[in-house]
Amino acid sequence: MGRSSKDKRDIYYRLAKEEGWRARSAFKLLQLDEEFNLFKGVSRAVDLCAAPGSWSQVLSRKLRGKDKSEEVKIVAVDLQAMAPLPGVTQIQGDITKISTAQEIIRHFEGQSADLVVCDGAPDVTGLHDVDEYIQAQLLLAALNITTHVLKPGGNFVAKIFRGKDVTLLYSQLKIFFSSVTCAKPRSSRNSSIEAFVVCQNYSPPEGYVPNMSNPLLDHSYDVDFNQLEGPNRIIVPFLACGDLSAFDSDRTYPLQLDSSKEYQYLPPTQPPIRPPYQQACQLRKNNLLAKEDSPSGAHDDALSSLDLNTSQDPKTVISETH
Amino acid sequence: MASSGQSAVLVASVTALEFLGDEFLLTGEGPILSVYSLQTSPTKCASLNVLQNFRIHGIRPRTKPQSEERQPNTIISSEGSVWNEEERLIVFGGKGVRLITFSSQGQCLKPSGPLFELQDWVLDIHWLEGEPHTRLAVSLAHNALLLLEAESGNVLCFYSCVETCLLYSALIIGSNWDSLVLVGGTVFNQLVLWRPRGTKSDGQSQVERRLLGHSGVIFNLCYLQKAGWLASASDDRSVRVWNVGSLGGDAGCGEKLPTCLRVLYGHQARVFCVRLTPTRVFSAGEDGACLLWEWEGEGKVGRTFRGHRSGGVRALAVSEGNMSCGGGWVATGGADGEIRVWRVAQENKKDEEEAQVDLGFKARGCPKVIRLVGEGTDVKTLVCTDQGEVCVSQSQIWDVIWQGGADFHSYCVMEVTSIQKFSSVVRICAVGNINGGVQVFPVGQPDVGVLLQAGHGKVHSVLWVKSVFDGCEGLCLLASGSEGMVYRWKIGVLESETGLQIEKKILPPFLLPPCAKRWLTAAVALSHKEGLYLCGDRRGSLLLYQRNDQRNKDLKETENRQQRAEQEKLNKTENTISVKENIDPLSPISTLFGVHGKQGVTSVCEHQGVCYTTGRDGCVRILTIEEKVLTVRRIQRACRGMDWLEKVLFLNSHRPELEERVEEREEVTHHESIAEARFVMVGFHSINFVIWDPHRQEKLLSVSCGGGHRSWVYRLPTHTPTHPQPNMLVQGTLVFIKHGAVIASRSLASTEADVNGQTLKEGFHGRGIGCVQRLGCLANASSELWEVFVTGGEDTIVSVLAIKPQSGTVKVLAVLTDHISNVRTLATVKRGEGNESGMDESTSALSSMVFSAGGRAQLQCYRILIRLDELRDQPVCQVTQIAGHRLDEQWERKRNRHKTVKMDPETRYMSMAVVYDGKECVLLALGCSDGAVRLFSVTESNRRIEMLWECFYHQRCVLSVTAHMLKDSQGKDLLLLFSGTTDGCISVWDLTAVLNSKARVSWQGPTAPIFSIPVHQSGVNTLALSQWRVPGQTEENLISLASGGDDGQLSLLHVIVKQEQQENGDVSLELRSHWSVPLAHSSPLTGLCSISPDLLVSTSPDQRMCLWSVSSDGLMDPQKVLFSHTADAAGLWAWSEAGSGGGAWVVVCGQGLQLFKLTQGDMDKQNNAVRQKGEERRKVMFSNRFLKT
Repeated sequence: MGRSSKDKRDIYYRLAKEEGWRARSAFKLLQLDEEFNLFKGVSRAVDLCAAPGSWSQVLSRKLRGKDKSEEVKIVAVDLQAMAPLPGVTQIQGDITKISTAQEIIRHFEGQSADLVVCDGAPDVTGLHDVDEYIQAQLLLAALNITTHVLKPGGNFVAKIFRGKDVTLLYSQLKIFFSSVTCAKPRSSRNSSIEAFVVCQNYSPPEGYVPNMSNPLLDHSYDVDFNQLEGPNRIIVPFLACGDLSAFDSDRTYPLQLDSSKEYQYLPPTQPPIRPPYQQACQLRKNNLLAKEDSPSGAHDDALSSLDLNTSQDPKTVISETH
Repeated sequence: MASSGQSAVLVASVTALEFLGDEFLLTGEGPILSVYSLQTSPTKCASLNVLQNFRIHGIRPRTKPQSEERQPNTIISSEGSVWNEEERLIVFGGKGVRLITFSSQGQCLKPSGPLFELQDWVLDIHWLEGEPHTRLAVSLAHNALLLLEAESGNVLCFYSCVETCLLYSALIIGSNWDSLVLVGGTVFNQLVLWRPRGTKSDGQSQVERRLLGHSGVIFNLCYLQKAGWLASASDDRSVRVWNVGSLGGDAGCGEKLPTCLRVLYGHQARVFCVRLTPTRVFSAGEDGACLLWEWEGEGKVGRTFRGHRSGGVRALAVSEGNMSCGGGWVATGGADGEIRVWRVAQENKKDEEEAQVDLGFKARGCPKVIRLVGEGTDVKTLVCTDQGEVCVSQSQIWDVIWQGGADFHSYCVMEVTSIQKFSSVVRICAVGNINGGVQVFPVGQPDVGVLLQAGHGKVHSVLWVKSVFDGCEGLCLLASGSEGMVYRWKIGVLESETGLQIEKKILPPFLLPPCAKRWLTAAVALSHKEGLYLCGDRRGSLLLYQRNDQRNKDLKETENRQQRAEQEKLNKTENTISVKENIDPLSPISTLFGVHGKQGVTSVCEHQGVCYTTGRDGCVRILTIEEKVLTVRRIQRACRGMDWLEKVLFLNSHRPELEERVEEREEVTHHESIAEARFVMVGFHSINFVIWDPHRQEKLLSVSCGGGHRSWVYRLPTHTPTHPQPNMLVQGTLVFIKHGAVIASRSLASTEADVNGQTLKEGFHGRGIGCVQRLGCLANASSELWEVFVTGGEDTIVSVLAIKPQSGTVKVLAVLTDHISNVRTLATVKRGEGNESGMDESTSALSSMVFSAGGRAQLQCYRILIRLDELRDQPVCQVTQIAGHRLDEQWERKRNRHKTVKMDPETRYMSMAVVYDGKECVLLALGCSDGAVRLFSVTESNRRIEMLWECFYHQRCVLSVTAHMLKDSQGKDLLLLFSGTTDGCISVWDLTAVLNSKARVSWQGPTAPIFSIPVHQSGVNTLALSQWRVPGQTEENLISLASGGDDGQLSLLHVIVKQEQQENGDVSLELRSHWSVPLAHSSPLTGLCSISPDLLVSTSPDQRMCLWSVSSDGLMDPQKVLFSHTADAAGLWAWSEAGSGGGAWVVVCGQGLQLFKLTQGDMDKQNNAVRQKGEERRKVMFSNRFLKT
């Protein structure tokens, strides 16, 4: 198939490389902004689960604009470190920790954020019920930290899987925001259940005290308003966003898009950061995976790389670049 | 029971397995709990839907016989029974928990209470000691523990860890609440150990131990109390075993500084499950393998259990096992819905058994040819050396039984056969040399042999064929000589006072078609058609010969007799060369030249009237002979890289006791079977000898022997029936020649392998099923139905499957592996023989044309015949491959393609519809990912697929197509094609002209649709036409088209076709009405079908199946919503039941497959009130953080 086959199968993957985005998901935020004007008047923005950083890239390019003297602050939070971006402050931390929320507020000099975005996706197991549940918990964790850092009236955008229990999440989100929309950018594949919730006008219930010592739990079905099997469901409007004249993410394009421009293969902007299978792949490459009649070659190497006595808590590491 | 819509059959991933002793296996598939009895012949004894909308992820019996895993002191009663007659089980998954009672006497399952719905996801449940109320410790996904009363569901305590991060896995260890230890596998790839009653800060427990090392999340955990080991299986593809020491009780969190004892890398993909026994680690994962690691030797893989399809293994259980009854069980459950069990011996004797054994061959010269002769326990190995000697072995001693002269030095060919002679079996050996000599002798009495002359040149091959001569069975010897002459003799054995005597008679030779390597490699005499021989040659050709006497039957009898008399006379004299030259050689009456490629044909055989040939092109060809013409029905390829096939072996896929009965009766009701038998392919994959099961896409046996250029024999275990079960093949022995030695793949003395796997339940499609179509149904004598479907999946497979809804039996009839990529769409047309009505009359046979299309722009076409085998009450199926087509075929043939970049898009076919079903050809429309709509014609008679038209008007991915043919006011046919695209538009094309065009190839086709309307916000995933006109409408030309979109919307268009107004006779369309239900589903609508004009059914990845009633003006109302267990639903098919019942069936495919039965009540408009299910369900609350609207 060759290395260029992904360029053919996925036009936005190819465009992301050509335009210097770290991932194709950058187009999704751009298209969401086209529809919802998310960046208008935003001077403090938070990108949760930011790695590899394509959404932070969009925030950086869009918010800071031409006039760099503007008071724009962007904070990117992730457990993993990522390559620095101009105008983006990175916090390496866990979004379920109160300390991370405090760190964000500190960066905004005590002020709350105007916009919180989250494009995080969990490590999938392939079992749909588990994957949907974990994605929902990630979204609720993002919502929980958002209740600490978002100003009333502010907006929250997060990835959502439109799976079997998505209405339970809608019902949860509707408590905190006066307007919740399920949006699908055209750069997100038609065939995928991925969509984005655009939650506008943060207005928590009266007397609500943000709390991170316990997780927010998702709702359950009831007999009246949100039925498991029945016509009554919590629904939110659906909006497909992005220009129809834009590229079609489901279409397979020829390599030669434009007769005036010769096709050239470009390497990915950012290779994946330390995937879980890295070591296993290395072992396989060197034919060191254990098989019948041959002992595990990995044993000693793998053991030596272990250090059981190191401190474990992912420390909050801060790096800043401008 | 069938009062409201319900699931009849579910095929889903097996996500939980647990043994009850060595006698029962509990399984969880979707919400359904089943029990299999493992005694003698394993059978399912009970099944129950216990978790409603949740999937079972764990089953915990009250008394756990595998006491080693958790509790140190489980009491085993004096009778030796380790569980009670009434066994209580806790079944959980998602947020659901339910208490179930299993009665091992009555073998039934019944719920012991309502379904408890918790607020958080459950990862593990542990029974706690204590009376009178049984209490459960429940571990939750946010690193918390709950103490629950089992019967009432009352929450007694709730503890959480200070780290409230998400867990992927958890394990509760200990026997009483106060000293429990919880092990959690966190989202941060760590293992944390804490105690609910341990050190507190702000009411939350501190983490007491932390195990680091995994670089991926942890999917599964297992603890072995006796050894103090904890095992973890991870996303990073490794299994780690930690020395954590004694956990729970007074020991607290065990070792202060736990160490990692083993890091086991062996899986090719993620590891989903792990189990520990005192001497072994078992792990299973996404690669479909279950590895048995021996604890000794720093983590050596002792055994690999394979057999699950691409989706991998999702559940694993290991029984403790009983030393006296041959070890314990290992069970694996796959994403394909398959459940397998293996016996595992306590002691692993594998090392001695599995090693290859040199059979100690000693003689003058090197062994060249090896053959086996005999049956059952009386098997002899014959070896022919390069010194022209034939040696025979019985129990390690080699005797030279025959010595050929100098003529037989350095080159010889040998073949052995046996013939029944009175009460004994006589083995006859034939050895050919380089000068045309063929020595034929009985193995038991080599000195009475005769030398036959097969021309002057080299004898390329000798072959024995069992044939019928004048109604009696006899042996025919074929010797392939020079210049394509295949000399033939009829060989018989006479018994006299002096012993045996060889009787021979010259038969007319066969002449092979001219080519470079002109010799015979395989031959068989067809049993059902006397006088016909199917042969294969080195050039890869298949040849059909007809025996002379048979051919001349119609000729004058006298002439025939004369010839025979002459022959007999000649036979009396010693055979001389001049004699043979008087007989004209026979030429083939039907030839398939070079079909098996230039490396040649390797075997031909006949089984139940169907012929199977193999070649070194990696293919099995399945042929039938009709009117004395060879017709290839189907080509079956082996796995990638297995290009050298040697033969096929036939399997018995049925139960043995049934088989015996059937075989007895077969004599009486013998009729020619049209169906293919189950077979496996035997051949070479690089340096390995491999047995490949094409049905299950699985390697049954692999022996490293050095590759195909050697003589070999494969010996089945003693006492194997003629058609073995697949698992028996693993126990066979390969005997082969390598480096001048005769080697056996395992000791010939060993009787049974220590691992004996069997399938409890057959699975199907490892990954997502993208499309489903119903072919029809078959009814047996007691009018029970078999519904027959065809499915296509991401695993590139097209399956034909039959479901018997009454019993829930699912049977895969055929697995077609011609696609090289994802199969996304299917289309079918009925081909009734005689009965052309096409309506849903259940019959005893079905015939359909099936088209499949998908990734890499590939289109395949089959003719499928399905017949009910009344004896076995099972449908059987014959598949004929008609044609295949790929858009980029020319590019594939380009020589230097690796050097150039292919500029064309990698087109996928997204959707397909039959546009026109003519007698001689079928027209298909395809929606393509490159933005085109294409039209193909498929002609069955000349097996051709041609593209007639393509139009790139849409410039975006075409997701759905459907077609409609109607008559205009003048009675002329109108042909309309509907296409739906990613921009939410539905377009209509007028293709009427293609019907009238005589020369379709020159037809230009339209350049733009005649009508286009935006309907959805984003992609139009599915289109469905109402099959009949909406009642109450008088309009002749009204089309009712429903569509489902990525936006979750359901729309219905009523369009009127107008023709009269247009001067040029072109068609124009007018929109009559357009109704939409904006959020019909909360996720993309992916499947839509019309059951009747006023009833639509839809599905979506939101896992709901909705029934919509449609009013005469097109207004849609929800009629019924049912939860579906098929995740990622991709397709749907619905049909109304034949007969007066008035019900309907719906089948949904996605991650698995589910069949629903709808009764008249579900579909009745008057019965609109939505009933809540009466099933018991109770919410269990424990968190004050629960917010309500």
